[in-house]
Amino acid sequence: MFWLADITSMETPSNHSHSFAYRQFSHAQHFFWAQVDALGRNITDSVSYTFKVFLMVYLSLRAAIYDQSQGLRTVLGVIGSQIYFTGWQAMPLITVLALATGGIIILQSSMQLSLLGGASMLGNLLIVVIVREVGPLVTALIVIARSGTAVASEIGNMRVNREIEALESMGINPLSYIVFPRIVGGVVSVLCLAFFFNVIALTGGFLVTRVIHDMTFQFFAASLAEAMTLEDVGLFFLKNGFSGLIIFVVGCHQGLLVQQSSHEVPQVTTKAVVNAIIYVTGFNLTITTLFYLNQILRLGLF
Amino acid sequence: MYDIIFRGQKKVELIESIRFEGLSFSYDNERPVFDNLTFDVPMGLNIYITGSGGAGLSTFLKLLGVLIQPQTGRVVINGRDTSEMSFEEFLPYRSKMGYSFDFGGLFANRTLHDNLILPLLYHKVCSMDEAHEQAKNLAVDFGFERQAQQRPALVSGGLRKLICVLRAFIMQPQMMIMDDPFTWIGMDASRKVVRMIQERREAGGLKHVFLTSRDEVWPHWLGCDFLFIEQGKPRFEERKGAA
Repeated sequence: MFWLADITSMETPSNHSHSFAYRQFSHAQHFFWAQVDALGRNITDSVSYTFKVFLMVYLSLRAAIYDQSQGLRTVLGVIGSQIYFTGWQAMPLITVLALATGGIIILQSSMQLSLLGGASMLGNLLIVVIVREVGPLVTALIVIARSGTAVASEIGNMRVNREIEALESMGINPLSYIVFPRIVGGVVSVLCLAFFFNVIALTGGFLVTRVIHDMTFQFFAASLAEAMTLEDVGLFFLKNGFSGLIIFVVGCHQGLLVQQSSHEVPQVTTKAVVNAIIYVTGFNLTITTLFYLNQILRLGLF
Repeated sequence: MYDIIFRGQKKVELIESIRFEGLSFSYDNERPVFDNLTFDVPMGLNIYITGSGGAGLSTFLKLLGVLIQPQTGRVVINGRDTSEMSFEEFLPYRSKMGYSFDFGGLFANRTLHDNLILPLLYHKVCSMDEAHEQAKNLAVDFGFERQAQQRPALVSGGLRKLICVLRAFIMQPQMMIMDDPFTWIGMDASRKVVRMIQERREAGGLKHVFLTSRDEVWPHWLGCDFLFIEQGKPRFEERKGAA
């Protein structure tokens, strides 16, 4: 940035006429402004990237609406295969992780709650930890690892193989043919997987609890039903829906950034994973913070 | 000829003129391939675009087919600035163009047969039976019936190239843009492609042909005029002996 260089050069005339201490100060000053410069550039790049990602959501939706040629059958075909790969094929992995997560959380929390005499709070704790926080995050991370990478590399390879250009040359809009069905399939898959994760984690939790506490299923189910509110349902759809959207938009966007060469494919795939994780965790954290701030305000504690 | 018309758009009867106006294009901040180029593209002919390697032949074809947009300047078709048109608005023009790539361009997860019928079925310009029939006829004519149900990765590079060329023809375009179509496809297939171009010209559907070729024999057979590209400047030259 020239204006920064101008400012510093105005304040630091020729080094020859100054002491060693002044030159050290001058270097420190340069270093400081370089850091500010780099930080500013990073922020600008991040804002620009975020804008492009959301622009892509709009453009693919617009393309899907405007595309008169693309039949429902074509769209449903791609959505179906996306759900099969992202949702159905991820179920064994989700099952194992959900059972383990549910078991560990219940095992740890039930012991602590028993010591404090609060076993009846188990339902509340499970809803808060599993349904609101861990479920959306673990599901999103699994989908990023399996499908976000797959989508980015698939589209990247399509770019290298000129399949995207070929679509355009045939009058087929890649945004409606490639991107839109993947986003829709991805959102549906993540919502279904998150629901499945919650069910399995809670079932696993119950089995573990029963071994330790000899708790009846009726009590466990009643405790969960009592703890579950409409806000939890809203949070479930908000967090998981956004995760599905962002994972697949970022994957598609990164894939389409490939220019010519196959060596770019692993680079964009890695970047798709990193960016999707940042967006998903950042969004989950923001929503959780806002949710609890809202609760605190409602209780009149703030 | 198949037409694809976006809602509210007028049907485009004919691509009559293509003009580059003050066009500049470069790849990733490299030296410009074309710099402030203004050029009226000769129409209604078979044109063999030639020049030294790296002169921008493929780039010229992509600009002609509006597959890339210049950094500055514009490509004007029938007096309309293409940079101001959306993907859907450009569709009536796009449906009049066939484009074959110098490599790649086939869908890896589809068979050769499915690659051929994709534009026909997507744009619903004919029934499914007719689309299959057309693709089967091409397979018989060009002798790849046995490989038609294979995916591109399992067939030779020459056959992949041939399918890409034939797919560009299948929408019966008015304007063909072919980037090096004869390399690798073999003598017999090259002859058939040349005959196909001649037949479609005689039938009146095909009006403009632009091609590059490593082998000058085929452009000669087609009676092509020349468009030399040297240092980012195209220069048109009629073939010797032309009326």
